[in-house]
Amino acid sequence: MNSHTITHRQLFFLVIQTQIGVGVLSLPYTLFSKAKIDGWISLFMAGIFIQFSVLAIWKLCDRFPKQTIYEILPKIMGKKLGYVFNAIYTIHFSFISILILIMYNSIVGKWILFETPHWVIIFIMAAVGYYVITSSPREIVRFFVLVTPLLIILFILILYAYTDVHLLYLFPVGHTGILTIIKSSADAVVALLGFDAALVFLAYSNASAARNIKVISFASFCITILYGFIVFTTYIFFNPKEIIIVPEPVLYMLKAFSFSIIERTDLIFLSVWIISVATSFVCYLFIAAKGVQTLFGLKEHQKGAPYIAIFCAVIAIIPDDKLEVMTWNKYITMTSVFLSAVFPIVLLVIAVLRKKQEKGAATS
Amino acid sequence: MKKKLSLLSVLLLLTGCWDQNVLNKTKLITAGGFDYTKDGKIITTASVPEANAMESGKDSIENQIYTATGTTVRQSRFKLDREVSERLDISKNQIIILGEDAAKEDIYQLLDVFYRDPKSALNAKIAVAKGKASDVISKKFEETKKAAGLGEYLRDSILSAEESSAVPRENIQTVCPVMFDPGQDFALPYLEALKRTIHIRGVALFRGQKMVGEIKEPLSVTYTMLTGKKHEIAMNTTKKIYKNKKPARLNYVTIKVKKNKRSFLVDVTPEGKISAKIKLKTKVTITEYPSDNLSTPTEVRNIEKQLSKKLTKDAQTVIDKLQAMNSDPFGVGRQVMAFHYPVWERLNWEEEYPKIDFTASVDVEVIGHGIIE
Repeated sequence: MNSHTITHRQLFFLVIQTQIGVGVLSLPYTLFSKAKIDGWISLFMAGIFIQFSVLAIWKLCDRFPKQTIYEILPKIMGKKLGYVFNAIYTIHFSFISILILIMYNSIVGKWILFETPHWVIIFIMAAVGYYVITSSPREIVRFFVLVTPLLIILFILILYAYTDVHLLYLFPVGHTGILTIIKSSADAVVALLGFDAALVFLAYSNASAARNIKVISFASFCITILYGFIVFTTYIFFNPKEIIIVPEPVLYMLKAFSFSIIERTDLIFLSVWIISVATSFVCYLFIAAKGVQTLFGLKEHQKGAPYIAIFCAVIAIIPDDKLEVMTWNKYITMTSVFLSAVFPIVLLVIAVLRKKQEKGAATS
Repeated sequence: MKKKLSLLSVLLLLTGCWDQNVLNKTKLITAGGFDYTKDGKIITTASVPEANAMESGKDSIENQIYTATGTTVRQSRFKLDREVSERLDISKNQIIILGEDAAKEDIYQLLDVFYRDPKSALNAKIAVAKGKASDVISKKFEETKKAAGLGEYLRDSILSAEESSAVPRENIQTVCPVMFDPGQDFALPYLEALKRTIHIRGVALFRGQKMVGEIKEPLSVTYTMLTGKKHEIAMNTTKKIYKNKKPARLNYVTIKVKKNKRSFLVDVTPEGKISAKIKLKTKVTITEYPSDNLSTPTEVRNIEKQLSKKLTKDAQTVIDKLQAMNSDPFGVGRQVMAFHYPVWERLNWEEEYPKIDFTASVDVEVIGHGIIE
């Protein structure tokens, strides 16, 4: 049991690594398509919104210490309904894993490996995912901590864009109107998803409740700032009329830079970025495997792991043209915003109303 | 043993073999040029350096030039590909040359393929050629006969012109945001092929995506200073500050710009009248002064005064030229858009820009004069 706990510092890196994922490359583009040059404001608003979800997730898990969402659901909603919701959440988390695979595949296929068959690209990632989730949560999180310094490389590469920026592209600020800005912050919430990993991983934390919330909230805050910086940078690098035709602005921006040793900076960025994608994928795959374990009453989550990995890989191969990918992206992100960001708040309200609480938990 | 075997198989298998790009099966284009035929088709000219090992052990580079015609850039490149034995690859391209006539049409149509292809070199230089691009992409230059590839030669010529501020620093990607900007235009290096060398004529000015005029070489330094460029290694210019000294060379002074500070004011009156003013504060050192007498402060002040006057006049000439050709590379429109959006929305900028009140002033300060007085 001891190797199943994680410290609050590890929890911090877990949330960070889960949040940084596929979204970062196309986030400026998605935000721009609605909120235009005020997209960066939407992002910071989304950053505030998710803090409520984070708070709800923490409060919910705090009422049931050392339990994952899959154990909490039946207790709040009753056995049968709980089972149904467990199934929904398992499918939800597997579909987030699938979406990560789909987006990763479409970007890698478009930018680096033009000729490599898609199933190869997907199965390599799925194999990595399967291999990592066969270990205990503590080992997984250790890996996440280990690769975090790589984020500094991403940051420095993006910093280089400041050699050629046009600050005036941001003006006039607030031109799109406050309503549009708020509406498009829903898109930003999608990119910031990853704090929902806390629904499962809070159960493994051995730190105090007060520490846990500080850590998750701070991690989400850090990522909001980092994303804000990235979006801001691309907005002053590209002309507003140009972003519309550049779906991966971050990569495109880096492609234009070259140093005496490195000709294609975007390839360096992509190789590091793939690790960030892998960490998000691993995290969601682990959560999905946990769900399978609960649904089928398995002793260990490892038993279900190969099936869930293969399931995700096979589904991820299905969409093969750009429009199909966009449709999948649209529907999966819609359900994720609901299930990961909104529904925890609903669950908390139900738990409070029905006075469901485990003994030993601090009363609020 | 089992572990080692599995490691070995991982090493062999993980590299994959679909996306290999074998160097000895490709021909690397280092310079490409575009012209139009009379009926609007595109002529692509490409230079491929081929290294020949010589008996003496020295390598020599031979530049092979290929041309093909097609309706679009891609189509003409496919045709090129069929002319040569191996596959053409543009990922190491150094420079793109647009023929004068090609530059006067929408250049995005020519460049689309470079922006779209993930393998293309976005940091390649881009320049306009006087006459035809195929005049510049040719074997006739002295320096390219022995060692240098044509692409490197052209790129380095532009780089050295950039260092002396004769042309602004641009590449395929840096012009892209500006090309799409309704409130700003850009300028590219303007080349001319002489008999045995390449000559930097100055800058070619654009409006939107089309070339509309040029500013020639000594004046183009003033243009680059007006863009707000702070410092370049060799931002030099020679100016005539006196009128009637004999011999004529005594009338001139050569300065090197050490620090250039720009303040750019765009003002809109309540009635909607737009005025723009560029003020330069320039710190220079004197690198040549044939009249030789800089020992007294009054003489230095005098030179400062004359230089300020001369440079202000030059700057005004540049701005008048820009307004006459209706090109807005300093982004007056962008400033109006950013800070006076309601006014901008009402305006037709293309009609308004030539009419606005646009002035410049240069304030020169001499901060050094070499190691003699």
